[in-house]
Amino acid sequence: MIHPRKWLVPALYILFLMLPIYGLLAMSFKTTGEILGGFSFFPQQFTLANYKVIFTDPTWYNGYINSIIYVVINTVISVSVALPAAYAFSRYRFLGDKHLFFWLLTNRMAPPAVFALPFFQLYSAIGLFDTHIAVALAHCLFNIPLTVWILEGFMSGIPKELDETAYLDGYSFSRFFIRIFIPTIAAGIGVAMFFCFMYSWVELLLAKTLTSVDAKPIAATMTRTASSSGYELGLLAAAGSLTIIPGAVVIYFVRNYIAKGFALGRV
Amino acid sequence: MATIRFKNVQHAYPPPKGQEPVYALKEVNQIWEDGGAYALLGPSGCGKTTLLNTISGLLTPSEGEVYFDDQDVTNLPTSERRIAQVFQFPVVYDTMTVFDNLAFPLRNRGMEETAVKQRVDQIAEMLDLTANLNKRASGLTADGKQKISLGRGLVRSDVNAILFDEPLTVIDPHLKWQLRSKLKELHQQTGITMIYVTHDQVEALTFANKVVVMYDGAVVQVGTPVELFNRPNHKFVGYFIGSPGMNFLPCRIDGGQPVFHNIPLNTAYPVGSDLSGNIEVGIRPEFVEFADDGIPVIIEKIEDLGRYQVITVKHESEVIKMVVDEGHLIPTESPKIQFNPNQTRIYCDDWVVGGSSNE
Repeated sequence: MIHPRKWLVPALYILFLMLPIYGLLAMSFKTTGEILGGFSFFPQQFTLANYKVIFTDPTWYNGYINSIIYVVINTVISVSVALPAAYAFSRYRFLGDKHLFFWLLTNRMAPPAVFALPFFQLYSAIGLFDTHIAVALAHCLFNIPLTVWILEGFMSGIPKELDETAYLDGYSFSRFFIRIFIPTIAAGIGVAMFFCFMYSWVELLLAKTLTSVDAKPIAATMTRTASSSGYELGLLAAAGSLTIIPGAVVIYFVRNYIAKGFALGRV
Repeated sequence: MATIRFKNVQHAYPPPKGQEPVYALKEVNQIWEDGGAYALLGPSGCGKTTLLNTISGLLTPSEGEVYFDDQDVTNLPTSERRIAQVFQFPVVYDTMTVFDNLAFPLRNRGMEETAVKQRVDQIAEMLDLTANLNKRASGLTADGKQKISLGRGLVRSDVNAILFDEPLTVIDPHLKWQLRSKLKELHQQTGITMIYVTHDQVEALTFANKVVVMYDGAVVQVGTPVELFNRPNHKFVGYFIGSPGMNFLPCRIDGGQPVFHNIPLNTAYPVGSDLSGNIEVGIRPEFVEFADDGIPVIIEKIEDLGRYQVITVKHESEVIKMVVDEGHLIPTESPKIQFNPNQTRIYCDDWVVGGSSNE
């Protein structure tokens, strides 16, 4: 028997989830005056001016470019470092392997604020302050352990006979790893990259502390609520709406694999 | 093509912390003749797979050397040993088509593409994979995948040996039989050394002309199926080969002949009286028969298996199994049994004594 109002609960749930996003989106098409004037469900004076400012003013659009640069650098570093590490954890037994594997996870147990000061001092001392690589490296502290955990789960699902067969068939380790193993765990790499991307994209504290002008991320730009021209709430809403898009695009590509990652209990 | 020789090969896996290493292989000295069809038979965990991996080089033994002809290959990497190996569970390269999977070992050795195609077609034909050649390997069923694994093992003609590690476990019974005879046929055509690991005695005895029985990390006997049946070197071989397995009864020795519960028995292979240790007499159920005179027994159970029946009898607390042809009369009153002296063996501490190994 199909209940006639079966759709009601999920529909309400989605409605509540979408409400703040709708609010943000609606605000981004309003003028600041209208936002401050009172609540309206639809924009009374529909305007694209907020978006125009973001796409023309370098202090705004550079924020996006900076964020994307360090997120990409971070994802590339994390995955390329974690691949061999995860392979070692999944295939070899060595002294202290289990302790080390767990210790990786403890890196995620401290709040980023704990590391902000030492990073700031270190990067200032060696001249990395306010560069993209500084933020990317700082995020590695959290992303590499996570990536190792995710990839280890996927790799352990591949029988080691695959490695052995490749050697028997005449492949060296490096050729096997690049030509056979990496394509085989492509789904896992996709999931790992997604999580690196997500974490690095939304992290604010370290990114803000370690940059000032040249590498300032969009999230830091958005924390200024007022400028010389007064409140700019419409502009902030537009910036916020745009910030959601990259995440939505990335999750679209890995949507089929995410569930597998969760099933492995590693995400 | 080469004769594979094991010299004092031993292997221990790294033990858990604070424990003594356990040897998975205990001092194996073994020669695998070029062109032989060997079956490696033994219970799970007796070191069969470890032994195979030492041949293929996936494992470097902790002690001893492995030779291919006169070349010491102990430290040679797997990719340079020219060994093909098929594992128990299917291993396919998911990202490739069936054709590319089969062609992979050939292409890696720089074979010309026309020759590759010819060879792959031939193997695919043999394994009934022709219709699937252009499909992606990841979409196949488990036995389809295992056929690819088999094919990849068989496709190279330049190998020193092909090792099969229980390759037909995931295959349907009727197909199993068919593939096994194909393997045997291929062996006769090519003369490549094949080593076939199994724990199924029927599989071993039908495939191989030499059976290597392993028990607890050691090779306990090498021989033809008939030799293994007639003269098990070790109690384990007696139990493991034959159905039901060999009977073992405690005894003492008097004048070179065994005495069981004060009943003298006869053997064609007398031993010295100075034997010490745990002495037992072994007899296959096929060579136990009812007689007018002999060991008095009580009949416990009769199982009719068609052409023959298995009878379980008891003398005091000792259980003896016997195989009797269908229609043979079973005495009802105070039955007695006798052993065929030519098939009665004496075992001391699990190993056979008396008689020579090449009868």
